[in-house]
Amino acid sequence: MIYLDNAATSWPKAPGVVRAVVNVLKSAAGNPGRTSHRSALDAAELIQECRENLAALIGVGNPLRICFTANTTEALNLAIKGVLKPGDHAICSSMEHNSVWRPLVALESSGVELSIAQANSHGVLVRAAVERLIRGNTRLIVLTHASNVNGAIQPVAEVGELARSRGIPFLVDAAQSAGSIPIDVKAMKIDLLAFPGHKGLLGPQGTGGLYVSEHVDLRPLMEGGTGSHSLEAAQPAEFPDRLESGTLNLPGIAGLNCSVQYLLKKGVATVARHEARLTRRLIEGLKCVDGVTVYGPGAEIDRAPAVSFNLCEWDAMAVAEQLESRAGIACRPGWHCAGLAHRTLGTAEQGTVRLSPGPFTRAAEIDAAIETVAGLASNG
Amino acid sequence: MSQYVAVFASLNQTALLKRALYREGIFADMLRTPHCLASTGCSFALSCDGTELVALEAQCQRLAIAHGGIFERDAVSGVYRPRGERPL
Repeated sequence: MIYLDNAATSWPKAPGVVRAVVNVLKSAAGNPGRTSHRSALDAAELIQECRENLAALIGVGNPLRICFTANTTEALNLAIKGVLKPGDHAICSSMEHNSVWRPLVALESSGVELSIAQANSHGVLVRAAVERLIRGNTRLIVLTHASNVNGAIQPVAEVGELARSRGIPFLVDAAQSAGSIPIDVKAMKIDLLAFPGHKGLLGPQGTGGLYVSEHVDLRPLMEGGTGSHSLEAAQPAEFPDRLESGTLNLPGIAGLNCSVQYLLKKGVATVARHEARLTRRLIEGLKCVDGVTVYGPGAEIDRAPAVSFNLCEWDAMAVAEQLESRAGIACRPGWHCAGLAHRTLGTAEQGTVRLSPGPFTRAAEIDAAIETVAGLASNG
Repeated sequence: MSQYVAVFASLNQTALLKRALYREGIFADMLRTPHCLASTGCSFALSCDGTELVALEAQCQRLAIAHGGIFERDAVSGVYRPRGERPL
């Protein structure tokens, strides 16, 4: 198999991840926060170690401000629904994933107002598009760091500067950037960062998290057992307990801890350079194939490793089936859970075929994908 | 050597402090807060000896974690009393 679906979930995982998950399952790890036997306390330390490693990776000073979630969608819902109240106004871009768009639209029925900042036809937003939408009651700006459809990188630091200068909490969806593009929440003035554990961070599915800065007061999405203040009816105020009710995914977090350690050692910048080279190679190669349209900024502009294209009027699903049957290429066709983004790119009718390399993808695999698309274009 | 117990609201805070102290070469034991000291229900604590209290309190300050009291454990009776309080 040539795996070019890393934007959906990364594969293979970082070295050692499988062993870390299995070790936890085999070693009768206890439930952290619920008791005091050795294995429960060891589990708590493992979780804390993972928080510390994540904090080091994204520039967070206090690891307790990182809360674990099951995925980015949960983290985004937690942030959006935890900040906004009836009468508030929110801004997001026209390149958002449905996990941003849908919760915001759902809140409109309870009196939250939403404005959408339009990106250009390549899927790139400019700061001014956000600035002109700010109102007196704007309480949240949400921006994807990189599009899951075409990898277009958004001006996160510029919008972060704008949001901070107006005192508006700034939420970034790092589903396609965490582990693939360096992130520094302080330098980028990010107040809330939602990230998956299983994509660029190379950990298991079922892991993710939300960073919450001290500037933001967030209501929990769920209340319940935290292993703290058990006699009190109110949800604890301390982070991360405030947002982490119920038993955490310890096997997943053990795997994530291992993969984040790998990334800290290798360096996200190194991964980013490798993926940028492959992405450029892919875009340049696809553009040379007659009948192929590649969506997004040119190959000379950095983007996250996600490339969307269409072949003439071919159905995207049919292209994906041919790529798999002819060369064992795993990719993703369709609308990528991003209706807004497809409208922006003009691909709402046809969808696209997305190829997404990862840190372990080789140049020869990119070339094989280009050759297979070229073969399809010439032979049908 | 007297043993002390510092009480914290959550296991997460306790684990963070334990790891920070470990990096300083101090091994503080993590434990569930003894019931007699747990005023709001479940919580966790760090146990250390008197010479390590300064480092523990410095880390609490650095990490902005408020403790819920530091208690000295009587070696004979096992009774806890607030640090500095004289036994009856």
